Amino acid sequence: MNKSQGAAPPASPPRWGLGGIAPRSRFTELSLLVWVGALAVLGFVAVVGAETSSFGSASILVPAIFIVLVLSLHVFLIARRFRGDQVLMPIAAGLTAIGLVLVQRLASDLLLQQLSWTIIAGGAFAATILIPRDLTALARFKWTWAFLGVLLLVAPLFPIIGREINGARIWVKVGPGSIEPWEAVKLLLVIFFAAYLEEYREVLSRSQRRIGPFPIPPIPYLVPIVAMWGIAMLVMIFEKDIGATALFFEAFYAVLGLALLLVGGFVAYQLFGHVQARVDTWLRPFDEDLRFGSGYQLVQGLYALANGGLFGAGLGNGMPDRIPVVWSDFVFDAFAEETGFAGALALLTLYLLFLYRGMVIALRAPTTFLQLLAAGLSFIIALQTLVIVGGNARLIPLTGITLPFVAYGGSSLVTNWMLVALLLRVSEVSNRMRGGP
Amino acid sequence: MTAPIAANIRSLTLALAIAFLVTSIGVSYWTILASDQLANDPFNPRLIAASNDRPRGAILDRNGAPLATSEKGASGFVRSYKDQSLAQVVGYASLQFGLSGVEAAYAESLIGQDPADPISIWRARYLGERQAAGSVVLGIDEKIQKAAVEALGGRRGAIVALDPRSGAMLASVSVPSFDPNEVVDPRRQQAAMDKLNNAPEHPLLNRAAQGQYPPGSTFKVVTASAALESGFDPTKKLRVDDPYQADRSWGDYFVRSASHAHGLFDMSDGFRLSENIYFAQVGLQIGGGKLAEYAKRFGIGTAPKLDLPAAKGQLSGSGLLDRPTLVADTSYGQGELLVSPLQMALIYATIANGGVMPTPHYATGVRDAEGHVVRQVAPGAQGQVISANTAKTLTTMLVGAVAGPGAFAFGAKVPGVDVAGKTGTAETRPGEAPHGWFVGFAPAEAPTVVVAVIVENAPEGGVTAAPLGAQVMRAALGK
Repeated sequence: MNKSQGAAPPASPPRWGLGGIAPRSRFTELSLLVWVGALAVLGFVAVVGAETSSFGSASILVPAIFIVLVLSLHVFLIARRFRGDQVLMPIAAGLTAIGLVLVQRLASDLLLQQLSWTIIAGGAFAATILIPRDLTALARFKWTWAFLGVLLLVAPLFPIIGREINGARIWVKVGPGSIEPWEAVKLLLVIFFAAYLEEYREVLSRSQRRIGPFPIPPIPYLVPIVAMWGIAMLVMIFEKDIGATALFFEAFYAVLGLALLLVGGFVAYQLFGHVQARVDTWLRPFDEDLRFGSGYQLVQGLYALANGGLFGAGLGNGMPDRIPVVWSDFVFDAFAEETGFAGALALLTLYLLFLYRGMVIALRAPTTFLQLLAAGLSFIIALQTLVIVGGNARLIPLTGITLPFVAYGGSSLVTNWMLVALLLRVSEVSNRMRGGP
Repeated sequence: MTAPIAANIRSLTLALAIAFLVTSIGVSYWTILASDQLANDPFNPRLIAASNDRPRGAILDRNGAPLATSEKGASGFVRSYKDQSLAQVVGYASLQFGLSGVEAAYAESLIGQDPADPISIWRARYLGERQAAGSVVLGIDEKIQKAAVEALGGRRGAIVALDPRSGAMLASVSVPSFDPNEVVDPRRQQAAMDKLNNAPEHPLLNRAAQGQYPPGSTFKVVTASAALESGFDPTKKLRVDDPYQADRSWGDYFVRSASHAHGLFDMSDGFRLSENIYFAQVGLQIGGGKLAEYAKRFGIGTAPKLDLPAAKGQLSGSGLLDRPTLVADTSYGQGELLVSPLQMALIYATIANGGVMPTPHYATGVRDAEGHVVRQVAPGAQGQVISANTAKTLTTMLVGAVAGPGAFAFGAKVPGVDVAGKTGTAETRPGEAPHGWFVGFAPAEAPTVVVAVIVENAPEGGVTAAPLGAQVMRAALGK
C-alpha cells in the first residue's frame, strides 16, 4: 500500500464537527475569543478585588495585554488567509487565561514571568504556523526527531547542565533559568511515532504469531519501540520523574505502551524506593506518619477540593495557598476550591472539547501520517490532563505532570501552544485538500 | 489502511472520554460527597484558620488553671501557651506545622465537636452551626508540675508523676523544652521550627513518654516479680562474690557489684543494697523465658495506651533472652533493655495498685463552653499483672530499699511518710556518664502518687535522682 492511497480521504465524511468549511473572516474564532476576553477580565477583577478590595492597574493591565495578544494571533491567522480550525485556539486561549488568573491568585510574584512566557508562547504558535512550509516533510526526518528527543530527555542527567528541583532531575539550566526539556520531547516523540508507525504500521499489525489474543509484531520492527521503553525506564530511575516517563512512552503506541509500562512500573515499584513511597502516599495519605510528611501536599489538596463543594468558595476566598507548590502541581485543586465542582467540571469539559476537536481533525486528515500526528497530539494533552487531575483527586498516584496551559511553567506553555499550531496546520491541510473557499 | 486507523482513533477518543467521566466522578466525590467530613477534619488548616475569628477551646489543668487559651489579638484570635514545661504535652496548633500533643489528640473536642457529642458534630456539618468550643481538662496539677520542674532544675531528663489508682498524669516534665508561642507566631514560626528540628537534644520529644533509656536497677522489681511468682523463696540467701560469672564459658565477661560485695544476700538485701550479682543469679535460676514473660506482662515492648504518642521500649534487640549473659544483664536492668520513664512509672504503679496496671492518660475530661462535662476520660485498668501478694511483698522490700540500714535510695525519704522506691544507675555508652533513675511511690500503705525520675548523664546516678523524687512526692502529698 503506497502513500498516495494512504492519502485518500476517509470513506465517509465526518458526521460531527462544528463548521466544516473555514471562512476567511474566522468569525467563529472571533466570537469565541470574546468570551475568552471576558473570562480573563472577570477573573482578574474577581481575584484582585477579593485580595485587596481595590482595583489596581494590574487587574486591568494583565488581561488587556493578554487580550491584545490573542487578538493579534487571530488577526495574524486572518492575514495569512489561514483556513484551519477555529475552535482549538480559543479553547487554548481560555485555558491560558484561567492559568494567568490562577497565577495571580496563587503566586502573584510569578505573574510577570508567566505573562512573558505567554507572549513567547504566542510567538511560538505564530512561528509554527509559518514554518515548516510542508507538514509532511516532518515525517522524513523521524530519526532526527527521535535522536533529538532522547538527547533532550537524558540531558538533565548530565552534571553541569542538569538540575534537580524538588527531587526530580528533569531540568536543564539555560542562562539564569531552567527549562524542562521533557515538554519539547513529547512533541518530538509524537512526530516520530506518527512517522514510524505510518511506515511500519502494516508490518506491525499483520502478525502471524500470537500470545493469547494478542498478536506479536515481528521482532525487528519492535526494536525502536522497546528501545524507547528501555530509555523511558532508565529515565524514570535516574530522573525520578514518573509522570514524564508515563507520558513518554504512552505518547502514541498506547496499548503496547501501557502493558510494558505496567510491567516496568511493577519492577520499578519493587526495586526503587521513591516509586514505592509515591504509591504508599497515594494509598494512605491521611495516616499519622504521612499526613505531615510525604502525604502533606496531597492531603492539603484534598482539603481544598472539599472546601470547594458544588459552587466553590469564590475566586480569592479559599485557602489553596496552604498547598505546597500549588501553582504548578495543584492548580486543579486550587481552581476547584474556589469555583467548586461546577468550575472543575467546566474546566474538564474544555479539555474534553479540545480532545474532541483534535480527534475530529485527525479523522479528517488526508494522510496516515497527519492522522497519527493529530491524534497523537490530542492524545497527549488529554492524557496529561487525566494524569494530573487524577493525581490531584487521589484517583491515581501523584506525578509531576502539569495541567496543560493552566499550570505555571514556561516550557510547558510554549510547547503546548506549538502543539495547538500543529493541530491547526493539520486541519488546514484537510481543508485545502477538500478545496474549500 | 485509512479505515482501521479511523476506527482506532474513534475508540481511543471514546476511551479517553470515559476516563474524563470517571475523573469527574472522582472529583465530585471529594468536592461534594466527602466534603463535609474533610471540611471538619481537625487537621484541616481552614479550621485552624477559622479560629482566627472563633476561639479554639482552652486546655486547663485539674484545678482549672489555663495551660493554653485563645486570646483576641489585632488580627483575630491567637493561641497562647502558659507553661513551657508542658510544651511537649500540650503541644501546638499551628497553621504551618499542624497539630501536636493534646492539641492534636483532642483536636475535635477543642473545636466543639467532641466525638461524645454527635449532635454538635451533626449541626456543624449539616447546618453550619458551630458550637462555641469547650475545653479539655488535664490531670496535671500545677503544684506538682512546678515541684517537678524545680527538682529537675534544667538538667536534661524527665519526670513523670501519676496517680496509681486512676492512671491520671499529675506531672510531666521533659527537659530541654521549647516555647510553643514561637511555633504559632507567624513572624517567628519558621525560624523557631528549624531551630527545634536541628537541635541535637530533641526538645520536641516528650522524654517522659517517648524517651527510651536503659532502666538500670529500677528494673529489678520485674526480675523479683517473675521470681516470686515462680515460687522462688525471697528469704533464701545467695552467695555474692564480686566479680561474678556463672561458668567459664562466659570467658572474660563478669557481672560487677556496685559495692564490690562479698557475702550472703536475700531479696531484701538485694533491693536495699542494689546488688546486681544477686539479681543476675535470680534471673539465671528462673530462666530467660520467665523473665521475658514478666517483662512483656509489665508492658516492655508495647507502647502504653496513652492518649499521646508513647514509646514501646524493648526487651532486647531480638525480643528474646536467648543467651545466659543477656539473661544475667537483663535481670539487673542492663543488657539491651530500653524503657520510657512512663513505662517505669506504670510498673511501679502496678505494684502500688495491688498488682493491677492502670491505663495512663493526660486528659481527664472534656467540657463544653458552659463548663458542663461532655466526656470523662477515665480508661479502665489494664488488668492484673502480678498477684496482690507479690505486690505487697515487693512494696515491703521497696520501703526497705529507701529506709533500711545503708539503703541506696535513702535520698527519697519523705518525713512522716513511708516511701517505697528504687534508684537506678543505668550504664549508657562507654565513656558517657550513666543516667540516674529513681522510681517510687508513697504513702507505701495506700499509695496516691508514683514518681519516675531520670536525669541524663548524671555521674552520681541514682543518688542524684532519689532526692528529686522525694521533692515531687512531697509536693503531691502536701508535706
